[in-house]
Amino acid sequence: MTERPARRGSRPVVVTGAAVLSAYGRGTQALLSGALSGRPAFTPVERFDVSARRVSVAAAMPGHPDLRTELAGAVGDACDDAGLPLSARARTPLFLAVHGDPTIARVPEADRPGLSPEAFTAGIARQCGLDEQAIRCYMTACVAASTAVADAAAIIARGQADRIAVAGGYLVERDQFALFDAGRVLADDGQVRPFSTGRRGLLLGDGIGAVIIESRESARARRAPALARLAGWGRAGDAYHPCQPHPEGHGMARAVTAALQRAGITGTGLGYVNASGTGTGQSDRSEANALRLALGDAAATVPVSSTKSLHGHSLEGGGALELILTLLAARKGMLPVNAGYLGTDDSCRLNLVLDEPLAASPEFALTLNAAFGGANTALVVGLP
Amino acid sequence: MTGLPTLRATAEAAGLTITASASWPETGADRAVPALAGFIESDFSPLLAEVAGRALSRREGPAHSQVTAVVMVTALGDVVTATRVAAAVDAGQRVSPLLFFQSVPNAVAGYLGARWRLTGPVVCVSGTRAALDVAALLIADADADEALLACVDLAVSGGTDRAAAILVTGPVTRNDGESHEL
Repeated sequence: MTERPARRGSRPVVVTGAAVLSAYGRGTQALLSGALSGRPAFTPVERFDVSARRVSVAAAMPGHPDLRTELAGAVGDACDDAGLPLSARARTPLFLAVHGDPTIARVPEADRPGLSPEAFTAGIARQCGLDEQAIRCYMTACVAASTAVADAAAIIARGQADRIAVAGGYLVERDQFALFDAGRVLADDGQVRPFSTGRRGLLLGDGIGAVIIESRESARARRAPALARLAGWGRAGDAYHPCQPHPEGHGMARAVTAALQRAGITGTGLGYVNASGTGTGQSDRSEANALRLALGDAAATVPVSSTKSLHGHSLEGGGALELILTLLAARKGMLPVNAGYLGTDDSCRLNLVLDEPLAASPEFALTLNAAFGGANTALVVGLP
Repeated sequence: MTGLPTLRATAEAAGLTITASASWPETGADRAVPALAGFIESDFSPLLAEVAGRALSRREGPAHSQVTAVVMVTALGDVVTATRVAAAVDAGQRVSPLLFFQSVPNAVAGYLGARWRLTGPVVCVSGTRAALDVAALLIADADADEALLACVDLAVSGGTDRAAAILVTGPVTRNDGESHEL
């Protein structure tokens, strides 16, 4: 565990706008109502040929949505949701979390340098009227979006910026689907069952999320209501293995501890955890151990679900999608279920939200993400 | 392409102190990138591991009490792995499971973390300036004592693969002897 407390700047940080796309449809209401229905969004994949794959299911919306178009749409919607005038957008940086330009692998070699992730990010910033001179592109796989959110919050807390737009996105496509299928991590029973006995893996899902992160004083100055506080953030590495999590969850525990320190709370102050919970054997066990390490006795009582069991795993976009769903659920006072549950796995004993959504209004909620390379992130959101 | 001079200059402009550095190629002997177990077909991860390992081995002083962040920088990512996967998919061929593990740039950070006990945050961004800003922020907020920055750009059109790595610390200690947060 960390030996010295995590620091943060003194300015409170809030979320003033949000927009999403998921297999439940476009918009925050579609996501929230879909998640609270408790019905997972997994259906047979029709977007591309999966006849040669072990698994043929994902949480994908109909048709062939385009990543660039949908990201730009979500960023624009988040700006609208935050009530940002054009003049303010022009001074707002964009931090984008993506795997890269999705076209780069199928163009002639000479054309590739023009398809950098930075160019992709700049194009979206330009399209949305944001400050394209102040962009960043995060490519840290399944923690890309949550890392971008954490960095944006840290920068704003320190007074180095007043406002940053953060977006992340992944749309189910043939290459990553083939890779995950080859890696035998997709659930061949067509359901994601986080922390459950009999869990058989993850399933991919469309996920795009965009948020406007802002200092509280900046939001107040322009009379913009806060959707939530971004109270704490933490990130840490496992120092263990290229593609396996630390068995005891050491990296995730340190990330959670840092996030709680920055939020000024302990585990007992949490009212909900949206776990990383991919539904894979090792990862869920590691995460449950991390929660016990970081939260102590509170790990046995705090309500936990992994919403990946509903909307699937959205890779680079997951951190943004899950942050937004976490704050929507907290504001609604209804916590989504941990779907697909078959029974208790003694190595993953947590107070899971099962059967139906739980009526509760957590003052603070935690959302977690983990990635290959032992990268872990934790974000604490609070009601405004 | 981002070489060591650019990485050093950007780090110094960001107020960071460079404690070790390495690059590829450094000498005429740097021709074939040393293989890295579990990583195939692309030099991206092996090259990143090689330059990072060189920089870490040149670090002076004890490292055991340090929390080290890993910040990776790449202009295009591992386009060799990406194009191999795309070609296999388009041809209806089986994709190697090993390509799954190396398909994201941060997988090799897990190797580095385990080998060199790097327990800080793991971040991958596409620009040098962004990477240095990330490193400075992580150090300022006590998420790490130091940061390993490793930059890899694979060769385009028959050129040479290039990579560089630096270890940086902060805050800067000025001549007045006081420490100042970045």
